[in-house]
Amino acid sequence: MSIMKIENLQAKIGDKQILKGLNLELEPGKVHAIMGPNGAGKSTLSKALVGHYDIEMLGGDITYKGKNINEMEAEERALEGIFLSFQHPVEIPGVNNAYFLRTALNAKRKHEGKEELNAAEFLRLMKSHLEMLGMKSDMISRSLNEGFSGGEKKRNEILQMLILEPEVIILDEIDSGLDIDALRAVSEGINKMKDGKRSFLVITHYSRILDYIEPDYIHVLKDGKVIKTAGPELVPYLEEHGYDGIEEE
Amino acid sequence: MNLSTLKNQNLQEVNGLLDIKDRDILAERFVSLGLPSKKSEEYRYFDVEKLLEKEYKTLTYVPKTLSVSEKIEIVDGIVVAGPQGMRIYNEACQKIDMDHFDPLYYLGHLLSPQTIKIELDGDVEVEIEHKFTQSQSLINYRIVLYTQANRHATVYENFVEENIENTLVLYGYDMHVSQDSSLRMVKMQTMQNSGYSMVASHKINVAKNAHALFKSFDLGGDNALQLLKVELDERAHVDAGHLLYLNSKAKRGTVSQIVHKGEHSTSKQVAKNILDGDARGIFDALIRVEHSAKYTKAEQNSKAILLHEDAYMVAKPQLEIYIDELEASHGSTTGQLNEKQLFYLQSRGISYVEARKILVIAFANTLIETVKDSRHQERIKKAFEEVFYAGHQ
Repeated sequence: MSIMKIENLQAKIGDKQILKGLNLELEPGKVHAIMGPNGAGKSTLSKALVGHYDIEMLGGDITYKGKNINEMEAEERALEGIFLSFQHPVEIPGVNNAYFLRTALNAKRKHEGKEELNAAEFLRLMKSHLEMLGMKSDMISRSLNEGFSGGEKKRNEILQMLILEPEVIILDEIDSGLDIDALRAVSEGINKMKDGKRSFLVITHYSRILDYIEPDYIHVLKDGKVIKTAGPELVPYLEEHGYDGIEEE
Repeated sequence: MNLSTLKNQNLQEVNGLLDIKDRDILAERFVSLGLPSKKSEEYRYFDVEKLLEKEYKTLTYVPKTLSVSEKIEIVDGIVVAGPQGMRIYNEACQKIDMDHFDPLYYLGHLLSPQTIKIELDGDVEVEIEHKFTQSQSLINYRIVLYTQANRHATVYENFVEENIENTLVLYGYDMHVSQDSSLRMVKMQTMQNSGYSMVASHKINVAKNAHALFKSFDLGGDNALQLLKVELDERAHVDAGHLLYLNSKAKRGTVSQIVHKGEHSTSKQVAKNILDGDARGIFDALIRVEHSAKYTKAEQNSKAILLHEDAYMVAKPQLEIYIDELEASHGSTTGQLNEKQLFYLQSRGISYVEARKILVIAFANTLIETVKDSRHQERIKKAFEEVFYAGHQ
């Protein structure tokens, strides 16, 4: 049984319809990679799944753990375990990184009926992840993403993912702007989250990230629809032939 | 006393009404500027007439022997306590700016022939507490601050009130920041259903190579306006920052003139305004660079966030420049909370209401954190959060 099922999803941004009847099922414990040319609708799909304000749904259904989430607010989706690692994480001057993350974690714990973590407990938890991600300890006291390099921002996204422990993880162009060391650290963080239950949706232009995060399925997205689903053997074919030769199944 | 009786009066009449003698130069200046009204540019957005039209009790100013206290305590315009060894006394003001733009600067001096003079000798940090205890009164006083050359002084300014109502406070500083010295002035004023309104009219002279820092944190409701004139000598610098958080029907803000007179003088002025309810925020600020002020650097910026559709911000950053050899910039933005930032927080499970609070506090923090002393920084943060959370439970 899938953890998330997307059926005939149609959505627009502004006046332009981008998703035109997209179908996709995410299986628990599997890594699904979404590949496709520019403008295919990859980022729009990620936004639709987390309830972004840009998106207007025109039809279809998104079902998560058996529940329709079409009308669910973004924060509710997050509390239920859906996480998006943003392609361009926003900078928020004045919001302390540690304070933000503790607020987010405690909101989730409260939602799950657990006790909130105090500052000391939280710092211990946070520090345990920082080293693995190769993050400097001062990043926890800096303003959220403010002045962070591209690599630092992506590492910070993965730090949030590690702490919030979501069940469906959407990684939108997580590899863009990363050097090889950052890519390795980020991938290590992602692989650490694999527990046989969580699902990953890796949205990418290039196959490079898939050398580090082994996918179970490759879905080719073109013109707002998934036109082909195959195993990882599709990656070298796409590298060689591009998307033009792929026909809708 | 009803201050509106001073409207459209000539010198003799003003002298008679205020019962003053031998201060014709000041009185002439006041008469030429006229009693403020909604037609006065600097008071256009502040409804000053309503305050001036009321009948107030005038207080008798009898200087008191100072008791020893960690802070300087001024009660209803009379200094009553101060730190041991600090030179604080009552004296006629020797240096009054004869080119101030604010008529109430002159009225304040006319009504206060004796000012409270505070000599900030050495590297000193002091708190000034203003306390108001009289209802239906006009509390008028002026303070003169001096720093010593080559020394660095810090002043934290706070306001408290007893159960009063319908009082008008007219006060202000004449600050003299001596050559090669620095003065850091941090004002915090929470007013919420206060029994007083306030007009504060200041003048800051910043001498050669001196630095002045003026940070004001104005929180809550009610009516208060600060009018500030700064003059910068050669290589002098001013760093001015103003945080406004207003709710209900508050009308508060800053009207300022920063005048670059000396070469290589620099100024930075930042206003952060958060307006809720029916509040009106005012930031009407001019930077003037005179012919003598070559190689000036001037920077001015106002940002406002409107949390309610009825809130309103008057932001008028202005530059008046008479030379070519300078760097100057100014700007102003007014808008809602940043949608992308709000969504980012929500996407991590933080509720819309909580995300708004976090962003508002973050916006304020960027200015509060410029107060370097962590104890005072925390105090201001706490005051801000108390006022803000009171209206956003």
